[in-house]
Amino acid sequence: MAHVMAEGFKFRYLKTPVHGLDPRVKLLMTAMLFALALLSSNLYQEALVFAAVGVPAALARSLKRLLRIAALSLTFSLMIFAVNMLFGQPLLESAVITIRFLGIVAATSVFFVTTSPDEIEYVMRWFRLPRDFVFAFATSIRFVPVLMMDLTQIIDAQRSRGLEMDRGNPVRRIRNLIPVLIPLIVNALVRSGELAEAMEARGYGAVSRPTSMHALLMKKNDYAALLVLVPAWSLLITYFLGLL
Amino acid sequence: MGKIVEFLDYTFEYSGMERPAVEGVSFSVEEGEVAVLAGASGSGKSTILRSINGLIPHMYPGRRSGKVTVDGADVSSTPTYELARKVGFLFQNPENQIFMFTVEKDVAFGLENLGYEPEVIRRKVDWALGLLGISDLAKRSPSELSDGQKQRVALAGSLVMDPKILVLDEPTSLLDPRTAQDVVSLVSRLNKDLGLTVVLVEHRLELVSPMADRMVVLSGSRVWAEGSPAEVLGREGLHEVGLSPPAIVEVQKRLPSGDGLALDVDGFVRRFLADVGHRV
Ligand SMILES: Nc1ncnc2c1ncn2[C@@H]1O[C@H](COP(=O)(O)OP(=O)(O)O)[C@@H](O)[C@H]1O
Ligand SMILES: [Mg+2]
Repeated sequence: MAHVMAEGFKFRYLKTPVHGLDPRVKLLMTAMLFALALLSSNLYQEALVFAAVGVPAALARSLKRLLRIAALSLTFSLMIFAVNMLFGQPLLESAVITIRFLGIVAATSVFFVTTSPDEIEYVMRWFRLPRDFVFAFATSIRFVPVLMMDLTQIIDAQRSRGLEMDRGNPVRRIRNLIPVLIPLIVNALVRSGELAEAMEARGYGAVSRPTSMHALLMKKNDYAALLVLVPAWSLLITYFLGLL
Repeated sequence: MGKIVEFLDYTFEYSGMERPAVEGVSFSVEEGEVAVLAGASGSGKSTILRSINGLIPHMYPGRRSGKVTVDGADVSSTPTYELARKVGFLFQNPENQIFMFTVEKDVAFGLENLGYEPEVIRRKVDWALGLLGISDLAKRSPSELSDGQKQRVALAGSLVMDPKILVLDEPTSLLDPRTAQDVVSLVSRLNKDLGLTVVLVEHRLELVSPMADRMVVLSGSRVWAEGSPAEVLGREGLHEVGLSPPAIVEVQKRLPSGDGLALDVDGFVRRFLADVGHRV
């Protein structure tokens, strides 16, 4: 279970024109798609949103992944739908709201499917977000697989001592989590203590504005992408806003 | 050559603890030496190491007396980031000292913190990766690496800051015997090639005594013995302080020591290990 989840969240780098873009361009593109999804007000426009999301997703050979993420949010979407219906929204309106939500999820996912955590960190640095914040972000993602491994090991260890995780009524099952969660938390605390020491030993906080080995550089294909994105988006957004 | 690390009647008690973690400790390490610090668990080894790179007292509060000098600087009045330039620290668990998503970025971490120019960082990072033979791992993610490789990445991240002293806290305890031997050989090479002073905590004495110039044994937060490996390993009572001397030393001790039989434990250990090393 833990393994499957770790796999699902793991970023996979593919060699595609979209993955190769500057992360700032990918962020801008995602913001544009997000704005479209947010402003779409009828089924027709929503179809356009999905088409607009579909193009970069297909170019990034990630349509399937995107669909899987959308499927994951389906339960939530159905809840939105049900709530809307309950509160007396007409069927069509409820559908529009629900599909808008799905569009927003899909648009946002384009960024996370095509941008590595590493690139996200570069962008955060480029925006000059506070160093501590960027660092906390980086380490928390860096340690997801490590903690997942911890979790698997703890579960195995507790099982071998006779803990039956999936037995009994719901209350019992929640109680069963305690012998897993406590060691997990203790482990994480030990790790963070050691991390703090190691940061200190490597001069963290020595200067107020640390430098970066790697600088983000716009390349030809990034400008080309902007040349396509900006006009296409401007056109769509004017139409969405009813100005066309 | 001179004393690069010096402890003078040093005592430290972590705040909230009942008794000192180290008490009345005095010893020194000469520039370019390999010093091995040994002792049972809880005898104060890590506390000594933390006092070398300033984690104590700057990060760990507590009661302190005596003095620790590192490369001419009084540790208690030198900020940790200054000490980070002098002292490279390799912790027991390399996993917990790799912060970034790629090897090269992690190796760059310390230099970025110190505010070096990007080109300088690039050059130094490439140098450190080459030195440790991990240039081909530069773009890899830490989660894809073996334990031995992680250890090298962590070492590269320390060495890139060009320290004079390398401090290692039980670097092999989580490794299999072969990888452990590799790490020890690597440290020995760094000592010889770069002239790095090494302070190494390790209980597997048979692994490290061949390269040690000096051994310090702690017991119950005090220095129990200090001297050359031959002097220290030859002492009675090593077992009582929680150490097992290399088997060969035991054999030597049990031999009848006639007048003609000088106790050359050191040489003996070296020859023995050179031999074992080939077969490992
Ligand atoms: N962070 C800490 N806070 C309080 N006490 C500590 C801390 N670290 C170590 N100690 C105590 O100091 C003593 C020496 O520990 P340590 O230096 O870690 O020994 P060693 O590395 O030889 O196992 C032990 O009694 C231990 O409980
Ligand atoms: Mg220790």
